Amino acid sequence: METFIQSIVSGILTGSLYAMIGVGLTVIFGVMRIINMAHGDMVMLGMYGSFWAFTLLKIDPFLSILIWFPAAFVLGFLTYRFLLKKIVPAGELNTLLYTAGLSLFIANTALLIWTGDYRTIKLDYAVMPLRPLGIAVPIPLAIAFGMAIVITAALYWFLVRTPTGRAIRATSQEPEAAALMGVDVDRMAVITFALGTALACGAGVLLAPSLYLYPTVGEILVAKCFVIVVLGGLGSVPGAIAGGVLLGLVESLGAVYVSVPYKDAIGFVIFLLVLLFRPSGLFGVGKS
Amino acid sequence: MKKLILAGLIILLLAAPWIIAKPFFVHLMIMVLMWTVLGASWNLLGGFTGQVSFGHATFLGAGAYTMMILYLKCGLDPWYGILIGGLVAALIALPIGYICFRLRGPYFALSTLAVAEIIRLVALNWESLTAGPVGLLITTLPKVSFGGQAINWESKTPFFYIAVVITLAALWATAVISRSRLGAYLLAVREDIDSAEAVGINTVQVRVAAFSLSAFFAGLAGGFYAMYLRYIDPDAVFSIALSVEMVFIAVVGGLTTVAGPLIGAIFLVTLGETFRERFLVGHLIFYGFFMMLSIRYMPEGIWGKVRNWFTKSPNTGN
Amino acid sequence: MSLLQLKGLTKFFGGLQAVSELTFDVQPGEILGLIGPNGAGKTTAFNLIAGFISPSTGEIFFQGESIGGMKAYAVTRKGIARTFQIVKPFKKLSVLENVTLAAFLKFPARREAEQAASRILAKVGLSAKSQSLAGDLTLSEQKRLEIARALATEPKLLLLDEPMGGLNPTEIDQASKLVKTICQEGITIIWVEHVLKAIMNVSDRVVVINYGKKIAEGTPEEVVENPEVITAYLGAKKK
Repeated sequence: METFIQSIVSGILTGSLYAMIGVGLTVIFGVMRIINMAHGDMVMLGMYGSFWAFTLLKIDPFLSILIWFPAAFVLGFLTYRFLLKKIVPAGELNTLLYTAGLSLFIANTALLIWTGDYRTIKLDYAVMPLRPLGIAVPIPLAIAFGMAIVITAALYWFLVRTPTGRAIRATSQEPEAAALMGVDVDRMAVITFALGTALACGAGVLLAPSLYLYPTVGEILVAKCFVIVVLGGLGSVPGAIAGGVLLGLVESLGAVYVSVPYKDAIGFVIFLLVLLFRPSGLFGVGKS
Repeated sequence: MKKLILAGLIILLLAAPWIIAKPFFVHLMIMVLMWTVLGASWNLLGGFTGQVSFGHATFLGAGAYTMMILYLKCGLDPWYGILIGGLVAALIALPIGYICFRLRGPYFALSTLAVAEIIRLVALNWESLTAGPVGLLITTLPKVSFGGQAINWESKTPFFYIAVVITLAALWATAVISRSRLGAYLLAVREDIDSAEAVGINTVQVRVAAFSLSAFFAGLAGGFYAMYLRYIDPDAVFSIALSVEMVFIAVVGGLTTVAGPLIGAIFLVTLGETFRERFLVGHLIFYGFFMMLSIRYMPEGIWGKVRNWFTKSPNTGN
Repeated sequence: MSLLQLKGLTKFFGGLQAVSELTFDVQPGEILGLIGPNGAGKTTAFNLIAGFISPSTGEIFFQGESIGGMKAYAVTRKGIARTFQIVKPFKKLSVLENVTLAAFLKFPARREAEQAASRILAKVGLSAKSQSLAGDLTLSEQKRLEIARALATEPKLLLLDEPMGGLNPTEIDQASKLVKTICQEGITIIWVEHVLKAIMNVSDRVVVINYGKKIAEGTPEEVVENPEVITAYLGAKKK
């Protein structure tokens, strides 16, 4: 029983970070129908940003997110404005191929500059895990979880309560109708991409103390991200949150109760099943 | 005239290892040839038929493992193993196609990626068949003779000629298909599936045929890859990176053309391998860069653009 | 024997009944008009006959053979061809290639297929444009291309879905003449149309559909006088 609760807790903690990454991807898809293959590499950049800030400037990752989140927003803005904007009219498939190229470019540049050596961030206060009720909770993951919740709540508030947020949701549902109602669809697109990128990078910053860093981590992350986003329904923010937590739980429980070897395959099998039989996601809220 | 140039190029190709005898150069040519086959294989499905697959490494790996297992466990000579590898790949394309072709466009692409990952993980874990992460290793290749002389497997030259045979087969097949009724049907499916059905084309059959043919050549290349490198493991042959590289070579070279994959391979592989010699990592940076450049400025690929310079009249879909 | 028989053809999309108990015959060599207000189920009926969707219940017989539920390409191979309401040419292929693709059904070799395609292009008046990209044609030309493509499969029955839509009066005249010519060559035609003048002038018989149900059948003159038909189009008479 204790193992079970331990797995659930681990699953939710990691899942929350997956959710944050997934929300970024789904919101980009929802508004612009861009399948961003470079999303995982944005997470990687966030990870390395936090690593270098820590290693060179001794800034704690959970503080450096205050720098990196806005910086990533700007990066996303520039990426969309100067690279992606002209590609989107060429169709979903071309955009997919383009972002795949971008992904390879970013990951390999990082490989070149930072080498493929695994990096870690060792925080002094993080050596021993917390033990509430006997469940081991690594401190960095706990803090990351907390911040992810705060950020996600802020995002939710933004999307539901602010005019810009509502405009983004409107564009996501019906771009033409939104345009007719005076929404600057182009501006929404750039803001959304910047936001999605910031969420990805931010998640990377938060995750960095808990994982091994290497430049090509984006590849497997983006694959997992697609699983999340498809499970939750493409374009749905609550769906991505649920999908992220679900994947975290599946991986965590799967590692304990299913044979360890094939556990990674479970996610992909579920992904295929959902794509084939319930394309609007497990909760039926996505667009197909 | 065209046939003469073609014949001349082939003769030049066959003589190449004697003209420039440096091992790195021969290795480079082998890589270019192998990637031409992989690009051509992807081109059949992604270029002609318009079905973008991000999981073609599945077939490369299938061919590689088939050849390895048949050689190491059954003693079947590698050249037969390569052929059977191609057939095995073509066969597994059938159920995979059945599953994935229910989806269209980017969703088809993602589903092929998922399938590739699942197969990689299966290969990683099915240790009794594949030896898992340890991989499979060839220590000695068969003692055979060709034209009275024993083949020296330590030299790269015999591998070069095997690669030439496979590459010429792949390019020739692409040329034949592109001129045939099947080739026209592939383009129709790429353009508009409903219209294709309306004119009597069984689009499911056509797509599966394209998928299978494409898989066959990827499988051949995979078998060769295993024979040349002599070591394979699941992460080497089933990786997403390999799938993606295949896409890039075909796209940058020129989709729906016969020579496109060759040009793409010559360009990208030369850049990449030369870079890798010097810097060891990050050679895919060129792939990424030129892919972005292509999609933005040259969707018809390098070869497509070159051809357009020479023919001002509208092409029939190429 | 009737060329085409619909018996109680019904199609549900979820809870919506798009076509209900549709029953009528089509005789060989005739031009049958299918009319009705927007959303009446005409295109759905076509999609059912042509095999793009399958019936919920009911049967379709072509030359005595049951074809309900058969896939689209199989239906075409049996001898039924269709055009689309919103034209779907293979835009990036040439006009000739568009029709050649269809001709491949009867002529597997490229040379014969292209020759057959050329002959059909001449018939619809598109020879001059055979090397142009299909996407570059005007709407009227694309509609003719659509018909040419259908003809290349050598159908016995041709389903025309609003061939006059979007055409100006001169083009409508040309198209009407083309339809008559096709019929004279022995091809049976069912066509859906909103341009009532054209369909009433050219059709031998007319079937009227409203809310998925057949409400009238007969010659154009008979149908035009039918009070139910008038109500369907114009609304009930005010008392």
